Amino acid sequence: MKAQYRWLPWLFLAPALVIAFLFHLGPFLNTIVLAFTDATTLGGGTFNGLDNFTSLAQDPQFWTSVRNTVLYAVVVVPLLMLLPLLLAVLVERNIPGIGFFRSVFYSPVVASMVVVGLIWSWLLSSDGAVNGVLQALRIVQEPLPFLTDTSLLLLSCMLVTVWKGLGYYMVIYLAALGNVSKELHEAAQVDGAGGGRRFWSITMPGVRPTMFLVGLLGAIASMKVFAEIFVISNGSAGPGGQARSLVYTIREVGLGLSGEIGYASAMSLALFVLTIGFSILYLRSQRSEQLR
Amino acid sequence: MKKSSKIVLAVSSVFVIGLTGCGLGPATPDSGEPAAGGEIAGEITFSTLQLKPTFTEYIEGVIDTFEEEYPDTTVNWIDVPFDGAQEKISTDAQAGTLPDVINLNPNFAQPLEEQGAFVDLEEVVPELRDIYVAGAWDAFQVPGEEGSFGFPWYLSSEVTMYNKAMFKEAGLDPEQPPATYDELFEAARTLTEEGGDFYGMHPALENRFIPDLARLGVPLMNEEGTEWAFNTPEAEAYVQTLIDLYQDGVFPSDSLTQDHTKETEAYQAAQVALFPSGANFLSIIEENAPAIAESTDVGPQITSEGGPTNVSVMGLLVPKTSDNQATALKFAEYMTNAENQLEFSKIVTIFPSVTEALEDPYFTDDSDGTVETKARRIAAEQLENAQNLVPVQFDDRVKSAVIGKIQLAMNGELTAAEALDEAVTEANAITAK
Repeated sequence: MKAQYRWLPWLFLAPALVIAFLFHLGPFLNTIVLAFTDATTLGGGTFNGLDNFTSLAQDPQFWTSVRNTVLYAVVVVPLLMLLPLLLAVLVERNIPGIGFFRSVFYSPVVASMVVVGLIWSWLLSSDGAVNGVLQALRIVQEPLPFLTDTSLLLLSCMLVTVWKGLGYYMVIYLAALGNVSKELHEAAQVDGAGGGRRFWSITMPGVRPTMFLVGLLGAIASMKVFAEIFVISNGSAGPGGQARSLVYTIREVGLGLSGEIGYASAMSLALFVLTIGFSILYLRSQRSEQLR
Repeated sequence: MKKSSKIVLAVSSVFVIGLTGCGLGPATPDSGEPAAGGEIAGEITFSTLQLKPTFTEYIEGVIDTFEEEYPDTTVNWIDVPFDGAQEKISTDAQAGTLPDVINLNPNFAQPLEEQGAFVDLEEVVPELRDIYVAGAWDAFQVPGEEGSFGFPWYLSSEVTMYNKAMFKEAGLDPEQPPATYDELFEAARTLTEEGGDFYGMHPALENRFIPDLARLGVPLMNEEGTEWAFNTPEAEAYVQTLIDLYQDGVFPSDSLTQDHTKETEAYQAAQVALFPSGANFLSIIEENAPAIAESTDVGPQITSEGGPTNVSVMGLLVPKTSDNQATALKFAEYMTNAENQLEFSKIVTIFPSVTEALEDPYFTDDSDGTVETKARRIAAEQLENAQNLVPVQFDDRVKSAVIGKIQLAMNGELTAAEALDEAVTEANAITAK
């Protein structure tokens, strides 16, 4: 490249850089600064050292949020790694009309989370369709309290997250499945390997790098879970707010005219550390597995 | 490091440091002495809470007559939806760009009042105090401090709406609405047990729990308004009643975590028989569920014997940052005068905060026999003894903490006493910050 055109890449990058600085890096650094102050929604904000973090350590709501967030990731990530792969294997075949099913499986991804959440809150209500079916099949006598029992509410939200994410990760897996050698499948079939055996010994190793990626994306997404819990629980996060996630608590603490921006920023920083920590642990475990 | 890289780094740093200043600015600036006696001229901005488009004609009509009366003035009206209003107000307050006249409820106004953001009306227009309903004027005071900061605007007073057909079905007298808390809960139990496929009532805790305690005579806070103190034996008995009603299935099972919106939907869908709520909801029921509206009758707001009734207040406040305070104050006074409020009350079942307007036959004569006029008469009578029973310190976070504990009690995870003690402790921790 001629010397006088050195600035050209920067010109092309400029719009993206401005957006990244303005809406990502700037607010991120701002959050770090605010985490060490007693700033509120209505201004003020003096440096208060580690006060916010010592308060966090003693805040039961924070620990409930951390517990639920970690639990969310632990349950959702394995399901998001496996179920979309099975779905992708199912819709990979070129049979007539398969495009329709691919679109149907993908449709929850493009639906608004608020709309999806509202639909699920109706389905899961005590007189909703899910309880109706369970009672009609005589699986339960009384309606299950999906919306008023903390564990059931959290589990319902997790399943909605998985259901909504299936299509997205299915598409990623579909691309990866194209790279799995057909010859290996044929050879295994000739050797008498069944569908299950081929899935375990050929398909899964073939898409392993993609599984790592899906796991990482799923983990980061589940750390940020908010809309499912907020909408399905009618904004309450269950009785006593016991099904709260970290983002839910950050919003509750930081919003409104009495919002504690400093404290909410400290919580956001804790979420950042948790997400990064989880990701590093995950990547390390995958790397050591690859080395083996 | 190359020179160009250094420049990029330096520019970025300045940019980022500039941004990190966000949120650390000073509190709302104080522009000094109010100028109530100035000239009534120039341009002002008037902001309302979710009145567009339903009341556009009325608001624009009042603005037009004001501008005719004071020809050198221009009023620019903006309307803010209720959802997201707090965020907009706080951003405007930070930037020092609050509208010249701003419509707020006491809870929204409180954090800004504490910071001295609004003109003290007792200082600049003390003569106006007596024309407003006392409970409404007092709603815009900061506990423990002098002054009052809002012109009371429209009021909403709760009545007890109920479905007469469901009362009949459950063997209750449809002409006898419950008058006390005991009667209310007894009726709810009978309606659930003896009625058809519906529940007696919906608890709508986030909307009613705290006003209920106040109506029962439970002191919510200490006299200074600095600490919560509602963990009394009376409150415990009340929470125990709620626990029993929920556990016995008198309330719908999902109602535990639902709000007033869901309660309204449940009444309109004929899922509950009793609906204690603002009289203004009559027109909403009429619009959404005409069949239910036909079966609906009203009784007085339920309170303890001789106890206060609750009133929800909206107000108009003038920020000190307004550079045209004289016009802003005059406009707020004009918008809330008897004539304009009376006209507003004739469009929707709300109530004027000016005593003179409440004496109009429109609020005293219910001889036409409709539910609306009956509700209007009952609610207007109640206003004499009405107060804004929800303390201004009961913000969203305190509400979430308190209601959360009561939900846990009703769900059997805490006893009534534990729930109240924990609620008070958490509420105090939040309020003390």
